[in-house]
Amino acid sequence: MKQHLLALVAALGLAVGGVTAQAADTVKIGLMAPLTGSWASEGQGMKKIVELLAEQQNAKGGVLGKRIEVVTEDDGGDPRTASLAAQRLTTRDVVAVVGTYGSSVTEASQAIYDEVGLPQIANGSTAIRLTEKGFKHFFRTAPRDDEQGRMAARTIDKLGFKKIAILHDNTSYAKGLADEANALLKSQGAEVVFFDALTPGERDYTAILTKLKGANPDVVLFTGYYPEAGLLLRQKKDMNWKTPFLGGDATNNVDLVKIAGKEAAEGFYFLSPPQPRDLDTPDAAAFLADYQKKYNELPPSIWAMLAGDGFRVIVAGIAGAQSTDGDKIAEYLHQDLKDYPGLSGPISFDAKGDREGEVYRVYQVDAEGNFVLLKL
Amino acid sequence: MEEFFQQLTNGLAVGGIYALIALGYTMVYGVLKLINFAHGDLFTYGAYLGLTLLTSLALTDRLGFALGVLVLVLMVMGLVAVLGAILERAAYRPLRESPRLSAVVSALGASIFLQNTLMLIYGARFQVYPDNILPATTLHLFGLYLPLMRVLIVLASVAMMAALYLFIQKTRIGTAIRAAAIDQGAARLMGIDVNRVILLVFLMGPALGGAAGLMVGLYYGQINFTMGWVYGMKAFTAAILGGIGNIPGAMVGGLLLGVIEALGAAYLSIAWKDAIAFLVLILILIVRPTGLLGERVADKI
Repeated sequence: MKQHLLALVAALGLAVGGVTAQAADTVKIGLMAPLTGSWASEGQGMKKIVELLAEQQNAKGGVLGKRIEVVTEDDGGDPRTASLAAQRLTTRDVVAVVGTYGSSVTEASQAIYDEVGLPQIANGSTAIRLTEKGFKHFFRTAPRDDEQGRMAARTIDKLGFKKIAILHDNTSYAKGLADEANALLKSQGAEVVFFDALTPGERDYTAILTKLKGANPDVVLFTGYYPEAGLLLRQKKDMNWKTPFLGGDATNNVDLVKIAGKEAAEGFYFLSPPQPRDLDTPDAAAFLADYQKKYNELPPSIWAMLAGDGFRVIVAGIAGAQSTDGDKIAEYLHQDLKDYPGLSGPISFDAKGDREGEVYRVYQVDAEGNFVLLKL
Repeated sequence: MEEFFQQLTNGLAVGGIYALIALGYTMVYGVLKLINFAHGDLFTYGAYLGLTLLTSLALTDRLGFALGVLVLVLMVMGLVAVLGAILERAAYRPLRESPRLSAVVSALGASIFLQNTLMLIYGARFQVYPDNILPATTLHLFGLYLPLMRVLIVLASVAMMAALYLFIQKTRIGTAIRAAAIDQGAARLMGIDVNRVILLVFLMGPALGGAAGLMVGLYYGQINFTMGWVYGMKAFTAAILGGIGNIPGAMVGGLLLGVIEALGAAYLSIAWKDAIAFLVLILILIVRPTGLLGERVADKI
C-alpha cells in the first residue's frame, strides 16, 4: 500500500515537474562555487569551465532540445554562506547542482538539496562521510579521502620513509585525510612521530616548523591546502631544513610553486588525481585547447575540471533519463551511467554516489617548478 | 633550550608585525573612541601597492636592494596614508556627531568595500612577490637559524615604533594629539585644531599599517585580498592586550601576543595556539580590565 502511495506521489510530482519543464524553454543547471573567499581561484575556474561547457553544449543543441542556462551562486568557501546559496538555488528552478569545492562547505548544503530532490554533484569534496549519510541525490566526481589515505600510506612505504609527521589544518577534509593516513600508517608498522594541526590563513608558520623539526621525521605529510603548503615550503627552506614534504591533493595548484618559490618547492611530493594537462582523453585535450583560447590560461586545478565533469554528467543524466526530474536523473546516474567518458577519465557511480575506480597519482615538483608524474 | 630561543625569535618577528598594525587601531581609538575595522584592509593595501610598485618600477634593479626597498617603503607608507585620510573624510567625518554605533557600521562597510575593490582590481588569486628580491641569507648563531630578513623585520618595526613614540611624546604636534585624546573639547578650547589632529592620526596609523603589509609581502611572499582580516583581528587583540588607546601598550601587546602564540604552539598544542593566546588575553583582562598598560578607564565598543 505504502509503495502505491509513493508511486502516486511520484507520479503527481512528475506531472507537476512536466508542466513546469514545458513552460520553461531553458534547462537550468545550478553551480555552487567559492567565487569569493580564500578558495576563490578554484571557484572562478569552476565557473569558467562550466560556462564554457554549457556554451559548447548549447552550440550542439543543448539538452532535450532546450538551451542550458547555468545559474551560479557564490558559497564563499564558507559553510554558512553555502547553506544560504543552496537555499537560493533551490528556489530558482534548477534541475541539478554542480558543486562545491570544500568538504565542510558541501556538507552544509547536502541536506538542503536532498530535501527538495535536487541531484548534487560535488567536485572537490573528498571527506568520507559525505556519501555515508544515505542521501539519494548526492554524487561526487572527486575520489574519497580513504582512497587518498590508502595512496598516501602506500606512497610513503614505497619511498621508504619510516618516521612520519602528519600535519593537517582542522578543516574536515584535511583532518579526515590525516586521520585515515595515520591509522593506515600505524597498521603497516610506520612510526608517526607528530600529529597536529595548523591554522589556515596565517602567514607565519615558523613556530610549527620549528616544532616539527624537533620531532625529527623522515617525511612530513601535510594534508591541508596549497596556500599554507607554499608558505611551509618557503619557510622550511629559510630554516635550512631539508626533510621532504608530501602533500595531499589540495596542494595540487599551479600557485603552489609561485608562493613557495621554485627553489623551495623543488622535491615536494604530492598526491593527486591527474592534472588537467596529464589527462589523456581526447575530450580533455580538445576542451583544454578551447579553454586556453577563450580565457588565455589553464584551469587552476583538477578540482575545477571535476566540476566540468559534474556538469557533463548532469547533462548526460538529463539526456539519458529523458527528464529533468531530480529523482529520475539520480536513478539514471546510479544505475545506467557506466563508464561515461568524462574529461578526467571514465565515470561511473556506485550506490552511495561515489565515483568508482582508482584516480590518484604521485607527483613531484622539479627544479623548474613543473609537476612531474612519478612512476612508483 | 635552543628550541625555546628559536621559538622566541619566531614569535618576536610575528609580534613585530602585529604591533605595527595594532598602533593604527590604538591611535584612532585613543582620539576618536572608534574601532577602525577597515584598518586591516589598509594593511592589505600596503602589501598590494608594494607589489605593484615593486614590479612596475623595478626599484630594486635601479637603486640596489637597500635603497630600493627604502624608497618602496616610503612610497607605500605615503600612499596608504593618503588612503587612510580619504577613508576618514569619506566614512568617518560625516558621522562624527552621530551615535558611535553608526561609525562602527560605517567602518565595517568601509572594510568590505576596500576588500572587494582589491579583489576586483587584482583578482581573487593569491598574488606573489618576486622571490629573488631579498637576500635569502640565514644567520646561524648560537645554534639558532635566523633568516636575515626576520631580523630586519623586527628591527624595522621597533625603529618605526620608537620614532612614533618620540614623535608623540616630544613634539608639539604629538602633544596636541595626546591632548585631543584626553579631551577633545578642552583641546579645542586651547586652540588645537582637532580635525587636523584626527586627520594626522589617520595618516600615521595607516602609514604604519601599510608598512607592515609591505613587510609581510616582501618576506612571506604570498598575499591575498583577505589577509587583512586575520592580521587585523590579531592586531586588534594585541591593542586590547596592551590597553587600547595606549601607544606603548600596542607595542608591548603585539610583541607579547606573537611570543605567546609561538610558545603556546611549541609547548602546548599547535591547533590550540589561538585559543591559548585568547585565553591569556581573557586572564589579563580579568586582572587588569584596561589592558597591560591602559590607564584611563574608557568605555569600549
